[in-house]
Amino acid sequence: MLELKPMLSALWRNKASALLIALQLALTLAIISNIVVIVQDRIEKIERPTGITVEDIIALNFMAIPQNYDMTGAIAADLELLRALPYVKDATVTNQVPLSQSGSAGTFYTQPNQEIGGENSNYYNTDPHFIDTLGLNLVAGRNFTDAEIQFSDPNESPEIAVALVTQQFAEKLYPGQDPIGKPLFDGSGSNPIEIIGVVERHLGAWVGWSNAGNVAFFPSIKNTQDTNYLIRTEPGKRDQVLKALVQKLSERDPQRVIKTKVLSEYVARSYARDNLMVKVLSIVAAMLSFIVALGIVGLTIFWINQRAKQIGVRRALGATRTNISRYFLLENSLIAGTGIAIGSAAALIVNQSMVRDYSQPELTLMPLAICALLVLLVSLAAALTPAIRAANISPATATRSV
Amino acid sequence: MFGYYISLALRSLRGTPVLSALMIAAIAVGVGASMTVLTLNYMMSQNALEHKDDVLYAVQLDSWDVNKAYDSPNELPRQITYRDAQALLRSDIPTRQVAMHRFGFTVELRDSPVLPFTASTRVTTRDFFSLFDVPFIYGGTWEKEADTSATQVVVLSKSTNDKLFSGENSVGKTISLNAEPFTVIGVIDHWQPAPNIHDLNNSHFAQSAKLFIPFGLHREYEIYSWGNTNGWNSERPDGYEGFLQGENIWIQYWVELSSSEQKGQYEDFLTAYIRGEKAQGRFERPLKFALSKPSEWLVLNEVLSDDNRVLGWVSLAFLLVCVINAVALLLAKFLRKAPEAGVRRALGASRSAIFTQHLIESAAIGMIGGIAGIFIAVLGISGIRHLAMGQMDTVATMDWVMMIAAVGLALIASLLAGFYPAWRISRTNPSIYLKTQ
Repeated sequence: MLELKPMLSALWRNKASALLIALQLALTLAIISNIVVIVQDRIEKIERPTGITVEDIIALNFMAIPQNYDMTGAIAADLELLRALPYVKDATVTNQVPLSQSGSAGTFYTQPNQEIGGENSNYYNTDPHFIDTLGLNLVAGRNFTDAEIQFSDPNESPEIAVALVTQQFAEKLYPGQDPIGKPLFDGSGSNPIEIIGVVERHLGAWVGWSNAGNVAFFPSIKNTQDTNYLIRTEPGKRDQVLKALVQKLSERDPQRVIKTKVLSEYVARSYARDNLMVKVLSIVAAMLSFIVALGIVGLTIFWINQRAKQIGVRRALGATRTNISRYFLLENSLIAGTGIAIGSAAALIVNQSMVRDYSQPELTLMPLAICALLVLLVSLAAALTPAIRAANISPATATRSV
Repeated sequence: MFGYYISLALRSLRGTPVLSALMIAAIAVGVGASMTVLTLNYMMSQNALEHKDDVLYAVQLDSWDVNKAYDSPNELPRQITYRDAQALLRSDIPTRQVAMHRFGFTVELRDSPVLPFTASTRVTTRDFFSLFDVPFIYGGTWEKEADTSATQVVVLSKSTNDKLFSGENSVGKTISLNAEPFTVIGVIDHWQPAPNIHDLNNSHFAQSAKLFIPFGLHREYEIYSWGNTNGWNSERPDGYEGFLQGENIWIQYWVELSSSEQKGQYEDFLTAYIRGEKAQGRFERPLKFALSKPSEWLVLNEVLSDDNRVLGWVSLAFLLVCVINAVALLLAKFLRKAPEAGVRRALGASRSAIFTQHLIESAAIGMIGGIAGIFIAVLGISGIRHLAMGQMDTVATMDWVMMIAAVGLALIASLLAGFYPAWRISRTNPSIYLKTQ
């Protein structure tokens, strides 16, 4: 490469500007590659399958006004009413709304009176309609029946005999074994709860929990002051059903305060922070690339103006337009290459602290290489127009002003 | 001279409109993005109890599972059991003390057009209002007896009083909570600490309670927590009394200790209490408790999350790139004007005069960029409010401190950016330029 030596000496004369560009590209690469792994991680988290047909479900919470309210009776009457409504596919009662960030969890064991080595799991107190209402996939065993539902006061511990669990939770409790028929112990108690069915997947109440996906379902209804219903509608009829819902239930029994929310809103709220992270970081990455590109455009134009005479002389001495453009693009690649080398090292160093101090995902070589390529492309694209313009400088310019 | 430099600076900016706009945009975007994130982090780090940071303490006791430490930064549960709260309340060492948790009621006003609604309620002891400096508009807190025996009185928040009584003095009136009559004894003024340091168990930035009721009502209404209830021991004694006497943690506890002497006494009291309970077979873990100042409590509860810190660093790095960008562009711009500076030097301007002149030009870019940056930050913050779906409304706001900080940041950034280019240009040798002209 014949041009390399004069190029280096030209760069040396402009070392401050060249260094500043290389530094910008290095920082940009360090920032963007770390942003990319974080954003990728969050998008994967948000797009995890929930196991639920989220879009067709309405969540309804009601709180009884009188202190000694017959909640059990109200639930039976309400569910009958709800299931008979037009466009309603099914309805269920539950102690918590899925993906709502609020719910119950406990530690479960495989042996009676065990004190250590339990598995934490989210749990539902619900009825047999839960599976159909949420569209869960029962992959083994059977659903529970109405007869198995235990009714109890909030102060009592009901004698629960059967449970459904998610595949993930079953695998944690009984790795590599068929969980059907195996016992489950709530806390360090001694009453076995028989696992009668396994559902393919359910994320549970908390999307950010380290044990998300560990879920147990118990046939249990508690006589509390407030409760939740989940209502699944025909596809596309959700909003129509939502409008009629509160009025129908209030007509049956006005002694309560009823609130409704569609499940998709709960989900959006649960992921709001991850979504915020994705959006803010993406915007920063985009702005960063843009600003750096503009800077390179500005500086290359400046250099070319400064060296207009030299370009003219080279053209007069027989350099082709391609020679001139290639010169500036090569010069740019040289700077970008330096920046990328420094940036890759910086990216890995920064990522170490991101992983260690802020529990963010690890940056592997593949995304780093892709980001480096992107930074090189942005840098070359920014230099392209000025380089072509440089080639258009006529040899006459040089001769005129000397 | 200063005025002259400013007019020179503005003329120079107008002379290269594209380059100037580019630099202003770089500073504005850099400042805007970093101020958006820094404002959020700054608001999240606010300590509403800063003025009482030396006297207030959140109490933690290690009553947890002997086999497994509690999962928190100091391995202590963030709440205490009801029975421990009752025992601590009997101590007369603290100047003030508060046991409390979140609850909810349905609210009705007889013969009123207001429809029944549910209201977030704080079940607490009478010192709550004085300990946290909650101002009253009407009336005041309840008597000491109400902390231990059922007394159906309630303190309303300003918004609840506005809703039910159109803001009039409602002291002495009766409202129905879960259909039971409660007498209004006080109305507080607007009170919304953000983060809500007194209860960081659920959302850190949630709205404050709408109602406040005395701590003596638990048994009467079988009150459970609407916040977190955590347990490790599944031996459940029967009935509600069993729940109250059990090992579940669901009560938040704060004390006010005015001197280090008083604090020492209280630590001795806690040590003696835990020893006594150990003798009865409770508190099986090593003896450990903690009294945390409000500022420490915010850290222990990780109010400023890892994500917030990452965003903070990313935005600062972004600003750094913007500054380096501005350095490169300023350098280009100043060097292009080198002949002009050469002439000024030849006519007798000193190096420092050239330096100052160019630094002022950079500062002008910083000022304009900073003001544009405030607008970008305001836009960015409203974007964050939108993305957070109402979960950050109490912290995603910009106050005047942060506005001044934005301009300050822009000025510092642009002066830093201008320093090297201005120095380079002040070193130019006038003779070169005089020769070529």
